[in-house]
Amino acid sequence: MTSRSQTAAAVHDRPAHGDLVDERIILCYYVAALTFLTVSMLAGILMALQLVHWNPLNGVELLSPGRWRMIHTNAVAYGFLANAFLGTLHWAVPRLTFHKVASRPLSWFIFVAWQAIVGLTAIGIIVGPTFQDQPWLLDLAKQWRLPMNLGAQGLEWGETPFWIDPVALLGLALVAVNFMVPIGRSKGPMYVSLWYFMAAFVWTFLTYAMGNLLPEYAVAGTSAGAIGGLFIHDLVGLFVTPLGWGLMYYFVPILLKRPIWSHGLSLVGFWGLAFFYPLQGIHHFLYTPIPMFLQYGAVISTIAVELVVATVVINFFGTLGKKGSEFFTNLPIRYFYTGMVFYFITCFQCALQVTLTFQKLIHFTDWVVGHAHLVMFGVFSLWLFGIMTYLFPRLLGRPWYSRTLCEYHYWLSSVGLFVMFLDLTLAGVFQGWYWASLQPWDASTDGSQPFWITRVFAGLTMFAGLLCFLFNLWMTWRGAEAAERSTSQFAAAAT
Amino acid sequence: MSDTHPSAVRPRAGMSRRQAWVTAAMAVVILIPSMYGFVGKFLEFVHIYRGASGGEFAVAPILNYLLASAGFFCMLLWAAWNGMFRDIEQPKIDFLENERLLDRDTRP
Repeated sequence: MTSRSQTAAAVHDRPAHGDLVDERIILCYYVAALTFLTVSMLAGILMALQLVHWNPLNGVELLSPGRWRMIHTNAVAYGFLANAFLGTLHWAVPRLTFHKVASRPLSWFIFVAWQAIVGLTAIGIIVGPTFQDQPWLLDLAKQWRLPMNLGAQGLEWGETPFWIDPVALLGLALVAVNFMVPIGRSKGPMYVSLWYFMAAFVWTFLTYAMGNLLPEYAVAGTSAGAIGGLFIHDLVGLFVTPLGWGLMYYFVPILLKRPIWSHGLSLVGFWGLAFFYPLQGIHHFLYTPIPMFLQYGAVISTIAVELVVATVVINFFGTLGKKGSEFFTNLPIRYFYTGMVFYFITCFQCALQVTLTFQKLIHFTDWVVGHAHLVMFGVFSLWLFGIMTYLFPRLLGRPWYSRTLCEYHYWLSSVGLFVMFLDLTLAGVFQGWYWASLQPWDASTDGSQPFWITRVFAGLTMFAGLLCFLFNLWMTWRGAEAAERSTSQFAAAAT
Repeated sequence: MSDTHPSAVRPRAGMSRRQAWVTAAMAVVILIPSMYGFVGKFLEFVHIYRGASGGEFAVAPILNYLLASAGFFCMLLWAAWNGMFRDIEQPKIDFLENERLLDRDTRP
């Protein structure tokens, strides 16, 4: 049997890259993604400054830390990651299937709608709590029987105001249609990336609907808590993970110029993710009134996911094989494999921290914050930086202005993130012991100061990396003469 | 490479003995426990449905998992039935070859 992509290639007049891929929309998605990442990182720095009692916006209600924190998380998840993934999918899916997306006008509509959704979410979070007690608004809400939380929904990672949820769901449904059509049009066995993408389109829609609608309208109390736990984790595991791994299975073989070590093993990993991951979310709510069999089920399945992770790690390091030198010479590959090492660390950490014994110490501490940064920035953001480092020169038709700045971006991002992760992990252990020893709360915050100061510098380091990338991109875009002659593989591959 | 019929000239992907062993071992270690998890959740659902202690509020997350997993279980059966796992290593070769063909058009 021939594969679906092979069948398409067999057609004599197979489409060319230019017919399949709309490069302008990818550029637009990447620009939007980097804009939101800049906002998100600035918000993160503001939060870090707040913790060391040096908030430059102190007293400004609309820009209070509680609101900035939600801007930080929402901008990175829905602004940066979602935009960057959508842009990259416009490159990968048509090339994998040899079919265009369902509709290019629809792609542009989704692009505009998605920016509006993320922008309105930010506006809702910032001004919603201030304006929702205005008399005219109260009358309006009473008349239409609307919930009164015009600002953020009281749901971690689901802070998108309730009035945006239906629009966001419609947007996700359109994304699914736009990409599923080309996948559906091809025939035969699918490459593993397409399995992951298909699953992500379905899962993301269902996860968003479950997490945002059920606790708002259908379930309450502990049950809503359980749903919230599933939502938080499924957002990572069923939205960013399948898209991230799908793109790694796509880009790594291309850059290494060799097929993945075992396609069969990659499919085992995919189906393992499909059946294990949806069980896990309740591990966020251990020691709660949620029935213990659900808590135990979540703990066991979380540990079991380590086996799924093992398949992926074995496969990618098997693919690298004797081409280990590529790690040093090929910058996108270095981004990808650094992210994979961080992924293994974060999953290993996950298997430990979901045990009831461990939770006693680290629950509510900065350990969790360090873990979240390792996942969102250390894994998925680094992968997307690698993809952008590879694709920008191809999209712009010229090599990077400066390889040195690309290197700075990598090192400042990776080292800054790793320092932040170690710092917050250690802070979490200290905080846990402070609380366990029943000292006053102030003792734990005073004791956290050295860690929080370190975090400020780690965050500034990561932000400096982003500024290097943005400056390099600006200079490359406007066609400035390359600062140095590049012989690197990443630049060569891009020209 | 000619564009006429790639399957006639493209290399065929085989699986080494080591790859086969690792794949089979991981499949047994991962997929069987996940099936056990699926059945376990289903039994818990029946248990709660019959009014056992644990609370009805546990139904929501269990139903959620069952719906998601049942969908993928059907998809797994559909994929196996339609030969998606036959010649399991070939897509990785075809994909790279297609990439090469696409880049041949765009690169000097």
